[in-house]
Amino acid sequence: MKEQLARYIATDLLNESTRAIADDEDLLGSGLLDSLSVISLVHFIEQEAGIDIPAEDVTIEHFISLEAIDAYIRRRSP
Amino acid sequence: MLYLLPHAVDRAAMRAPDRDAIRYGDAALTYAMLAERSDRLAGLLRSEGVRRGDRVGIHAGKGLAAAVALYGAMKAGAAYVPLDPASPPARQAFIVRDCGIRHVVTEPARASALRLLLAEGVPVECAIGVADTDLGVRTLSWSDVDAHPPAVHDPDLVEMDLAYILYTSGSTGTPKGVMHSHRSALAFARVAADTYGFRGDDRLSNHAPLHFDLSTMDYFSSALAGATTVIIPDAHTRMPASYAALIEKERLTVLYAVPLALTHLLLHGAIDKRDLSSVRWVLFGGEPFPTRHLRALMAALPNAQFSNVYGPTEVNGVTYWIVPPLPDDDTPIPIGSPYANVEVRIVGDDDDAVVEGETGELLVRTPTMMRGYWGRPDLDARAFWKRPVFGHFEDVYHRTGDLVRRRDDGLLEFHGRKDRQVKARGYRIELDEVEVVMGSHDAVESAAAFAVPDEDGSVHIEGAVTLRSGRHLTVEELRAHLAISLPRYAIPERIAILEAMPRGSTGKIDRRELARRARERTLTVERM
Repeated sequence: MKEQLARYIATDLLNESTRAIADDEDLLGSGLLDSLSVISLVHFIEQEAGIDIPAEDVTIEHFISLEAIDAYIRRRSP
Repeated sequence: MLYLLPHAVDRAAMRAPDRDAIRYGDAALTYAMLAERSDRLAGLLRSEGVRRGDRVGIHAGKGLAAAVALYGAMKAGAAYVPLDPASPPARQAFIVRDCGIRHVVTEPARASALRLLLAEGVPVECAIGVADTDLGVRTLSWSDVDAHPPAVHDPDLVEMDLAYILYTSGSTGTPKGVMHSHRSALAFARVAADTYGFRGDDRLSNHAPLHFDLSTMDYFSSALAGATTVIIPDAHTRMPASYAALIEKERLTVLYAVPLALTHLLLHGAIDKRDLSSVRWVLFGGEPFPTRHLRALMAALPNAQFSNVYGPTEVNGVTYWIVPPLPDDDTPIPIGSPYANVEVRIVGDDDDAVVEGETGELLVRTPTMMRGYWGRPDLDARAFWKRPVFGHFEDVYHRTGDLVRRRDDGLLEFHGRKDRQVKARGYRIELDEVEVVMGSHDAVESAAAFAVPDEDGSVHIEGAVTLRSGRHLTVEELRAHLAISLPRYAIPERIAILEAMPRGSTGKIDRRELARRARERTLTVERM
């Protein structure tokens, strides 16, 4: 899932298909993602992982890095 | 007597030394600490050669260091100039060169970013706040600041001296510096603090970055009231649910942000699961707030009063409108009526006042008005409208470029711009600047930038170019070129490479047609 997320962020959200994103890279504090791209990312995850993400779960601790998102999805997946 | 911005902090430090002045995450500075640290920084800056009227760059993200830096710079007699940490080094370098910054205040976490800025060959001689000694300029650390004797007295300024310069998008392809004096900045800080009745026990949010004029109310109105400013970390501004949790945890009483941030708080903040009853004011400005979202947010925060805050960076605040219960329709809300001590005129193309009820350009006469644009008398000539309106001598107004109309009930409505400046998701952008930068790629023959409405009530920017014959260019290559000099928010979200531009009968590029095709998503890459 991490690779899929990295590809989606680079290609669809940043318009930089060659941009590499490390698993522990800060996606939020660095300005990589803005609030609109976070919303798109949540929709993408909901579709790809087949889970429903409630608004109160879209927090810094769950979305700070690819690692954190991956851990959150694993916890939520059946 | 309180006539310089830092006096507000010093006075609060006398009256309530132990109250928090600035909070950021788990760290805080009391008024006594903020006054002392900024005195020490001012002393060090003066030892390093800063003199009255100099410009000191703030090369730090939002945080305690930046708060100390801006007061320290002003106490040293200088104007502070925020350098947007998120903007490209070449753009920051332009600003440093444009206003001749020799000293920057920074923080250890930004040492590598500072290295990139210095590599642009800027005239910086001294960086305060980093320990790295291999930067090629004199460096002093924050420990050096805290060990330095405080500056003992005022820097012999009067209120007409500059307090800060905020750089904003410029239509000729480079940013322009809006200069504010202590007088104009304090005049606005006072009118805002009075209008909204800020008190010592208030806790104001600081949502906007320092280069954004919304931040001046967060810091200076708060200091005048001896209140606490709680800095919202950048990550929280992107994560509405975390932002809502922070409002609850910090018991914020005043929120001030652009409508988009508040709309996201409403739609994605899970605020029904939070106790946000501490909030007594929600202030918003920068662009129109879609009425249906505003109404829903008002219903969700029944303890709070809401106010629309309108005013270009050049004049700080002009009008405000305390929002009454809204009717159940989506009519755009007005920008309201002028603050106390602010005069407005609405003029037509002939510069004469329009007939009551007609749309015209808004001119503003106010003590909150800027000194002018740094080093740009050509822009000043257009920005200031000087006429003996009242018959005896020149009365100076600022020409806002904003179109407004006075309704029958006396409230002003906003009707867009005279020129091609847009507010896209709260950011002020000159479309001409985006076009100039797109056109500066040597493969580009012609370029157009235009605003396209969003679903959430704001707009975003899109662009189109044609290429010189025989040249090839991909959208990614063009984006990389734009990223050298434009901040991310000014880079078009989609760019089409066209065989030919649609043109009107006079041969001018038909940007309206481009925007129409963009809305319909029929604007695509036709060649590479």
